[in-house]
Amino acid sequence: MTQATLLSDDLLRRLISVGQVDVLVGVPTLNNADTIAGALQAVDEALTQHFARARTVVIAADGGSRDGTVEIVGTTAPEGGDRYRGLRTRHRFVAAYRGVPGRAAAIRLIFTAADLLQARAVAVVDPEAGALTPAAIGGLLRPVGADSFDLAAPVRARHPLERLLVTQLIRPLVRAAYGRQLDEPLLTEFACSGRFAAHCLAEDAWDRSPMREGIELWLAVTALSGRFRACQTVVEAAPPGPSARPRLGLQDVFAPLVGSLFAALEAHAGAWQRDVPSEPVPVIGGDHPPPHEGTAGAPSGLGGTFAQDVRDLRPVLESILAPDTFTALAAVAEAAGSEAPRYTDEVWVSTVYDFAAAYHAGVIDRAHIVKALMPLYVGRVASFVTRHAAAAPGEAAQNLETLAQQFERSKPYLIERWNRTP
Amino acid sequence: METNPLWYKDAVIYQLHVKSFCDSNGDGVGDFKGLTSRLDYLEELGVDCLWLLPMYPSPFRDDGYDIADYYSIHPGYGTLEDFREFLVEAHGRGLRVITELVLNHTSDQHAWFKEARSARDHPRRDWYVWSDTDDRYAGVRIIFLDTEQSNWAWDPVSKAYYWHRFFSHQPDLNFDNPAVREEICNVMKFWLDMGVDGFRVDAVPYLIERDGSSCENLPETHDVLKFIRARLDAQFEAKVLLAEANQWPDDVRAYFGDGDEFHMAFHFPLMPRMFMALRLEDRKPLVEIVERTPAIPETCQWGIFLRNHDELTLEMVTDVERDYMYEEYARDPVARLNLGIRRRLAPLLEGDRRRIELMNGLLMSLPGSPIVYYGDEIGMGDNIYLGDRNGVRTPMQWNGGWNGGFSTADPERLAQPLISNPVFGYQAVNVESQRRTDHSLLNWMRRLIRVRRSTRVFSRGSISFLSPANHRVLAYTRSLDGDTVLVVNNLSGTAQVAELDLRALEGAIPIEMFGRSLFPRIGELPYMLTLGPYDFYWFKLRWL
Repeated sequence: MTQATLLSDDLLRRLISVGQVDVLVGVPTLNNADTIAGALQAVDEALTQHFARARTVVIAADGGSRDGTVEIVGTTAPEGGDRYRGLRTRHRFVAAYRGVPGRAAAIRLIFTAADLLQARAVAVVDPEAGALTPAAIGGLLRPVGADSFDLAAPVRARHPLERLLVTQLIRPLVRAAYGRQLDEPLLTEFACSGRFAAHCLAEDAWDRSPMREGIELWLAVTALSGRFRACQTVVEAAPPGPSARPRLGLQDVFAPLVGSLFAALEAHAGAWQRDVPSEPVPVIGGDHPPPHEGTAGAPSGLGGTFAQDVRDLRPVLESILAPDTFTALAAVAEAAGSEAPRYTDEVWVSTVYDFAAAYHAGVIDRAHIVKALMPLYVGRVASFVTRHAAAAPGEAAQNLETLAQQFERSKPYLIERWNRTP
Repeated sequence: METNPLWYKDAVIYQLHVKSFCDSNGDGVGDFKGLTSRLDYLEELGVDCLWLLPMYPSPFRDDGYDIADYYSIHPGYGTLEDFREFLVEAHGRGLRVITELVLNHTSDQHAWFKEARSARDHPRRDWYVWSDTDDRYAGVRIIFLDTEQSNWAWDPVSKAYYWHRFFSHQPDLNFDNPAVREEICNVMKFWLDMGVDGFRVDAVPYLIERDGSSCENLPETHDVLKFIRARLDAQFEAKVLLAEANQWPDDVRAYFGDGDEFHMAFHFPLMPRMFMALRLEDRKPLVEIVERTPAIPETCQWGIFLRNHDELTLEMVTDVERDYMYEEYARDPVARLNLGIRRRLAPLLEGDRRRIELMNGLLMSLPGSPIVYYGDEIGMGDNIYLGDRNGVRTPMQWNGGWNGGFSTADPERLAQPLISNPVFGYQAVNVESQRRTDHSLLNWMRRLIRVRRSTRVFSRGSISFLSPANHRVLAYTRSLDGDTVLVVNNLSGTAQVAELDLRALEGAIPIEMFGRSLFPRIGELPYMLTLGPYDFYWFKLRWL
């Protein structure tokens, strides 16, 4: 789809009516009838509390909902409610996008609208109820609207054994590569400047796989690799909402996200190939939250097939990994037997970097490379979870930091491997 | 004079200060002879009612709202005979006259108060509200926050506290006392017998005090007002009482009663929202306040205005709205007074002719009788450094000559200095120069008033808002007895497109009322209009 066909005549007419805005909130929707009203209410309250004077618009970018989501957005307009006490008219409408439903298409439409309306600040809010409170939405938008940040990402108190794909792979690699310590590089919800939205629109990631599937990561990396000011804002941990959305399995998210991560490294190679220590991304709205003390809900029973997986994948792994890495990995597998392996930070980081370099070199089909990393990742997760199952969250969090530092220390290895390959 | 008992419903009212309008004897103070000499100008302007600010003897510690004698004319303004002559001349030109009636309080220099304080057993003692302590009616808000710390003031003469809702030199009359009510009726009869057409009644919500209440809008206050109205109706016809009650529309509604209290009341909350809508470029605040305005009896009318002799009051707005208004219209703190902004129309709008026209267009087309504040028809400026609200009460600028044509006195002797800055000063902004130019603001205002008065749709018609998706466009229809006018305003400083759903008016031909240009017939499809910055259209709809 080209950008020219992104805007239907009806949408264009609506945008003309809205005119220039200060704040645009986009809500990607697809069959969210159970939760959309609550999400919109949170958005309305946030805008009323924090942007009473601003020109605002709320756009639900819909991928073809058939469950009444569209009708709910249309019938809960803020103007009619007693709650709404803003100075200005608040426009809210549904903008249906064409093509394959997904966050990339939705965010692209939101960014396009923001660009046309010259929005100074844009927020993308997840329609799942309770994901962000009004205070959190306001907290995300304020640094962009008032303090000229280009990207505001939420940071929450999380248990160190949650979101393991992020903590074991994505976050430390992003930190090492781009030199910025961003807690949540998967931008499910975020705020950004109009300038950043316009910049992203000009990128060609929207229609390209795997960036399209991992657009949340792509956006974060784009912000960190360019001349954009990023910050993190403290938000309360999200209470579980009444989501009817099916949970995605690892096989659904691993390939798009890791593929997008590696593709971003390739696209921004000029921006990260310097060995400099990372810097914290400033945290606004409080101190960086300590690890969550509750139960993690971490996976269990993983890693039993690790040794067998390594044996089965040996030809593929030998084509991807450096010999030393493969030897170390094979030793880990051998020692594991039918138990969870003891997959050390050093071997894991070398593994990841070898895979990134192999992806860049295209030693085999890139999809196969990414797919081959998944069982190793499962082994690494099993190793980490087993080691910290009985540990205090603080200890696990400290070891996540140790892992991140290992990624940074080994960055010269990544650069060397990356540039050695043709 | 036309014998229309409901004349006030169709009136375009012009508010002026005698002291600042025209000085006939060169003493630096405007007077009735001077005002009389300028009646031709007001007739040409097209207004049909004059509202005079206080003209009574007064120590002038509140610009005449501190009355020291209700039965006379302030000596500086002339004599009762001068006033009678003025009335005759005004009526001869079809101009009605309403004057101020300050009910709530007198000056502390009024003979009534001097007698009341002279002895605790004086017969007039009970004409005012006294207390041995200053803690009665605790919690009642103080109106003049910038100057007063209590609603009680200590009287060292009679050694007691007296109640005052405004300045401490303005003791409140005690309307629980029948003798006070009777005397006020006598005052009214005195002036109505002379030919005055009505009164603008000052500060009406505060007439009665009761423990445990806000001392505002009390039922007993309405009883007093009904008493006064009944006495008026029993003795006179076609007279008007106009209430000053700076309250929310729902609260003001009570002052119309069942058509047995006030004929008119100011719509205070509308005014700041007109300015707010303009700055926000958003119709929301204006539509909201009109839509929450309750219906009033058939014989009643709202008085609407852009500016007047007081500050642009921000009492009837939310805190968020007040902050916004201060930031947008009064960045200089000196411009802020009490809970308002002491500025005239033109400086508020930065002298932008397009915005001045749009705001006057709104004033003349929204429901109510419009009130034009003297000098705003030529875009006069103000002087916020004069103290209190004097900066919007400077001499009328008649020409570019000596004292702007206001007075032959030495400039140093003028009661108020003229505006003399290069932008709004009398050399740049004056009646004479604008009379010479067809497209001056003055002549544009004359045309606007003429068009407004060409149909009673504006003064008596119902209003129905349209809801174009473009919030910068404010569109409404005014309808009366089969006549319909469509009004479309662009509140923004940029060109706008409006798609109007006019299916209910299908088949009508819009005729633009200023140039009488025909526009395409209204059909089933959305009616598309483009408007330049701050443009507005008034269309008379004809089914031909």
